[in-house]
This record gives sequence, structure tokens and C-alpha cells, in this order.
Amino acid sequence: MTLSRRDILKIGGAAAALPLLGGTAFAQEKLKVGFIYVGTINDNGYNYGHNQGRIFLQDALGDAVETTYVENVPEGPDCERVLRELAQQGNKLIFATSFGFGDAVIKVAAEFPDVAFEHATGYMKADNVGLYNARFYEGRAVCGTIAGHLSKTGKAAYIGSFPIPEVVMGINALALSGRRINPAFTVKPVYISTWNDPAKEGDAARALIDQGVDIIAQHTDGPAALQVAQERGIVGGFGQGADMSAFAPEAQLTAIIDHWGPHYVNSAKAVIAGTWTAGDTWEGLKEEVVQMGAYNKKIPADVVADAEKIRTGQIDGSFKIFTGPIKDNTGAERVAAGVAMTDAELLSMDWYVEGVEQPV
Amino acid sequence: MQFRLEKRAEPSRFMLYATPVGAVILTMIVGAIIFSLIGYDGIGAVREVFLTPLTNAYKWQDLGIKAAPLIIIGTGLSIAYRANVWNIGAEGQYVVGALAGTWVALATYTMSGPWILPLMILAGVVGGALYAAIPALLKTRLNVNEILTSLMLTYASIQLIYYLIRAQWKDPMGIGFPQTRRFAESAQLPTVIPHTIVHLGVPIAIVVALVAWFIMSRSVFGYRMRVVGAAPHAARYGGFSENKTIWLAMLVSGGLAGLAGVLEVAGPFQRMVPGFATGYGFTAIIVAFLGRLNPLGVIFAGIVLAITFVGGEVAQTTIKLPDAATGIFQAMVLFFLLAGDLLVRYRIRRVVTTPAGAA
Repeated sequence: MTLSRRDILKIGGAAAALPLLGGTAFAQEKLKVGFIYVGTINDNGYNYGHNQGRIFLQDALGDAVETTYVENVPEGPDCERVLRELAQQGNKLIFATSFGFGDAVIKVAAEFPDVAFEHATGYMKADNVGLYNARFYEGRAVCGTIAGHLSKTGKAAYIGSFPIPEVVMGINALALSGRRINPAFTVKPVYISTWNDPAKEGDAARALIDQGVDIIAQHTDGPAALQVAQERGIVGGFGQGADMSAFAPEAQLTAIIDHWGPHYVNSAKAVIAGTWTAGDTWEGLKEEVVQMGAYNKKIPADVVADAEKIRTGQIDGSFKIFTGPIKDNTGAERVAAGVAMTDAELLSMDWYVEGVEQPV
Repeated sequence: MQFRLEKRAEPSRFMLYATPVGAVILTMIVGAIIFSLIGYDGIGAVREVFLTPLTNAYKWQDLGIKAAPLIIIGTGLSIAYRANVWNIGAEGQYVVGALAGTWVALATYTMSGPWILPLMILAGVVGGALYAAIPALLKTRLNVNEILTSLMLTYASIQLIYYLIRAQWKDPMGIGFPQTRRFAESAQLPTVIPHTIVHLGVPIAIVVALVAWFIMSRSVFGYRMRVVGAAPHAARYGGFSENKTIWLAMLVSGGLAGLAGVLEVAGPFQRMVPGFATGYGFTAIIVAFLGRLNPLGVIFAGIVLAITFVGGEVAQTTIKLPDAATGIFQAMVLFFLLAGDLLVRYRIRRVVTTPAGAA
């Protein structure tokens, strides 16, 4: 047999394509599902919540799925590499669970058109990139009701990561619901530029308590701020992402618990059935994607009853926290009386309501 | 009975080069044992962390772009450390270099042309060098320890990122997320191998290391740095100014860290983000020592550290090793290297003490 130059080129081409097949050829029987987390699964908060969702998916679908996660993935080029790695390993459904993964998800998704990507809390979609999010702000409205009743100084702090609409919305929900109870209630936001840095979260909490704050809410991933609240004996704070009462039994008034599991099950089932499309879901208390933790024993019964009213009102749709009249913190009216803000307006919220100190 | 460390007259040249290799091998062995003991597949862990990135051709591009900044920064640090100038703040100089490049990219956003990228790179080098000039100035004028000042300036540089991207440089389309807009086409580092993510920074890293090696081994500058580090008294006698050496060492290592920063922001990131500083400047310290403070060695050391990063992620997905394992492997390499170095330079002598009262 003689080999022409063309034959050699063909063989070379086939050999070059071999590694492309390696990842997918044997993955037919089980759906492989990958998760990337920005922090560790032991943060007892946001990333822990997503990992609980992964475990829920694994338990619910058993042998039909194989799940993998990569933790502590920085938001940037490292994330791109991890996503590519998961796609090459044959994961056909990949959940990127942090806002800052957006650029990388869009980039890698274009290289793997047969892989379904879902990006939590993001805003950029593509044919194979869906979005999913939770209405955390509904939980904030319940927290704010408790804060409005219990705060003695009338001052709450809010430790946030970045001033993105998702975080701004939560701050505003806390302030609006707190001011329904106590019109003098104010919220001071502080941004620490990271989702997960217990030292920074703790330092911010200490500094804020020194300034007379007696309620601390946070939109970062771990229980560090609550631990400081416990240690300093202030009125308290709220668990975020998961129940954090183990870390602050006195200080945790209630918690906003993320329950991603059912969403993960639905998406995985859709991929297995071949019906998955890039969706855009935003569910809350009603769908139980957001749940409230147990109320602390020290909260008086009438306050619990009020908080419950807000919780059930949001479930049956009778109460919407972002309903006018709403003024911003410069005094200008933003939402007219009786008008409820639309989802699109909420998702681009970049102003603070009355009672929120303008962050520096 | 006690032991005493005694300096060897002449450390074995062979051992000097064998220790880095030995440190890596020892890390693999001890790593396999430790991870087996705590219930993981220890041998699998070593295989996935150290070998898979090399055997899987898909991973080579990742190794290249992960190693490039480590090699560039490590080369600069190896020059400074040779002269006994302890610049620990390469991370900060890397950040400031990237910020300087970002400034050029944003200022030229509406323009295009092949001059933009070279200008960004120049700005990056100058930015990194200027940031390193602060500890140099404090050291030469006030005799302030450069280890402390350069390290502390790193934290200041990260605050500088936050400050700039929260207001002046914020992306108008980013729904409030503090990051700059994506750089225009002319400000993005091109890829050098089609259909891969290998960007121009990878060949630049190799060239930087080769040029540095040539200068260090063949020029008066290199001779000066080596003599000042190895024999400060002789250097002073020979007329080499100590202050001038500190300045040179800081500016060169800072400038190279700045170069790495601007290449990283123009290449893989293509915009400035709050999480830009991921620790390359600190990892490069391990790279410089693992590479025996020799730019050629730094190339290999940079690749070894890149392997542990990429392999650490592989191990997370394939055998569910926790992320912290990567850090453990990297720390073990440095630990065994330093321990090995001690034994190369010193020998352990048993000392028999005479009983009290015998004299």
C-alpha cells in the first residue's frame, strides 16, 4: 500500500480530531452536570446553598445524573478555563453560579453549542445560555419588617459585595419594609468588593456597630458578619443563602434560604428529555426557591405575626414591596402611588430609596 | 546530645540543580501519601495534578497562558533577589502596570491603530517600575525595609483598582457592576496560534526570560547584580554603589511585573475587573526560587507551577479533590526546596556536650 500525501493529511486530521471525541464518546448513558462556585462549599451561605441544590439534584435523579463541582473559581480567565474543562469532560449541563462568571460563560458557550449553560443572577443570554435567579428581595422585605420593629437605634447596616441591581434591590427592600414600621428607620450600605472574605465582612460589621448600628444585613456569602453581631450582642442580623443560626444562635433573627434544588432538577430533566431551551426564570417565596428560616425565639409574637403577613402576602401576590409611592434618597418621587415596579425596572435598579444613606 | 548546622565550604553544584527536581518529586510522593491517608485517591491526585496537564494536549494552551505571567514576574524577581533586594510586592506592581495599560486602553477607546497596544505595554512597564520606585526610594533614603513597604503597597494597589472602577472607569453598559468596559479591538492582545487561547504574552514571556538570562550572565549589569548579592563587601570595594543596585533591582523587577500585568489585562481579561489580582505576583516568588534565581530555570519553574494550577482544577472535576489541595501541593514544593537548600549549604553535625562540672 502506498500512501499519498493526501492520505497522510487525512490521517493526520483524524488524529488531530481524536481528543475532541474523548470527552463525549462515553457519556451517553448518564447526564453529566457541572457546577462552578465562586467560593467554597463550606461557606455556610451562598455557595453552600448551591451545593445543597446540587446534592438535591443528585438525590432526586440518582443514577440518571452525575454531578461535579469546582469551588473557589475566581471571576475572570480562570473561570473560562474551568468551564472549558467541564465541557470537555462531557458535562452537558453546566451551572455557573456567580454574577461575575458572565463574560466567560458567553465565551465558552459559543465554543460548545451542544452544552446547556445556565448562569445564576446574570443578565447576558445566548442560544445555549439560560439565566436563573431568585427573588431574594422578597426575603429582605420579611427581614426589614422584623428590623423595623426590633431596632432600637433605628439604624441598620447592609454589607454588600458590589452595587449591582440585585444587591441594590435587596437594600431597598429592607429599607422600604423597615420604614413601613418605623418611618425613621435608615440603612447604611457598605460595599466590600468581594462575595466571600470573612475577614473583610467581619471588619465591616465591627466598624458599623461602632457607628451605632444595631441590625446588620448582608449580601455576601458567609456568616462572618452575623458572628460579629452575636459577639457584640446587638439586636441581630439575618442569615443569607442558608440558615446560619449555628454560628449566631442569638443574633440570627431569621434567614433567607436559597433552595435551588428544584430548579436544578427541572433543568436536568429537560436536558435529558431534549426539551431544554435557554430560559430566564426568576422565582421567589411562592415557588419556594426562596424560603425563610425559623424566627428567633426572642422575637415577640406580634412581630412574628407581622413578618408572616408580609411573607404570606408575597406568596399569594397580595403584597408587593416595590409598590409606589416610592421616593429615592434625594427626595424625588420614582414610583407613583399604587404602581408596582416591573421586573425590568427592578433588574436595572441603580438608585436607593428614601432612608438609604448614599454609599461612598 | 544535640545537633548543629555547619556551613559547607563549597556547596555541590550538582546538588544545587538537583534540589528543585528533588523537591518536586518529594512533593509528589508525600502528597500521594497524605491524600491517601485522609481518604482521597492519593496516587490519582498526583497523577491528575502533575501529569494530566502534560499528557492532555487540550491543557497545553492553559499551561502557556498561566505560566506566561509567572515567568515574566519570576524573571524580574530572580534578578532582584540575586542582588539581595527583596521585592515581595510584585503583585502590587503587576496591578499598577495593568491599571496603567487600562488607562491607555480607555483613553484610546474610540481610536484604532497598531500603535495602541505597544503604548499600553510601555505604560504597563513604566507603571510597574514607578510603583516599585516607592520602596526603592524609602530604602535608599530612609533605610526602610523593602520587604514591608513593597508588600504593603500591594494592598494599596488593590484598593486603587476598586477606586477607579467604581466611578471614573465604570462600564456604562455593566448594569452597575464595578468593572471597565471591554477594551476595543486595537487594545486586545492578539492570539498567536489560531483556534487556541494562546496570546502574544506567551512568546513575550519566553523572550523576556532568554534576554534576562543573556544579560545576567554576559553583561556588566548582570555581574554587578550577582556580585552585590554574593559578596557585598567586595562589591563596595569594587566601586559598585549599593543604592544604585537597589534602584536597578527594584525598577527591573517592578517593570517586568508591570509588563505581566498589562499583558494579562489586555489578553485574558480584556477589561479591568475587581478580581484582577489573583496572586501571580506572590506565586512568582516560588517560581523565582524554584528556578534557582536563573531566568532559564524560571521558565521551567513557571511551567511547573502552572501545571499545579491547571492540574488542581482537573483533580477537582475528575477525582473530587478539594480546591485547597492545589495550595498544599504548591506550598510543599517550596517547603521541600527550602529544606533541601539548607542541607545543600549546611551539614548537620552531632555535637556531644561535655557533662556539667567536668571542666
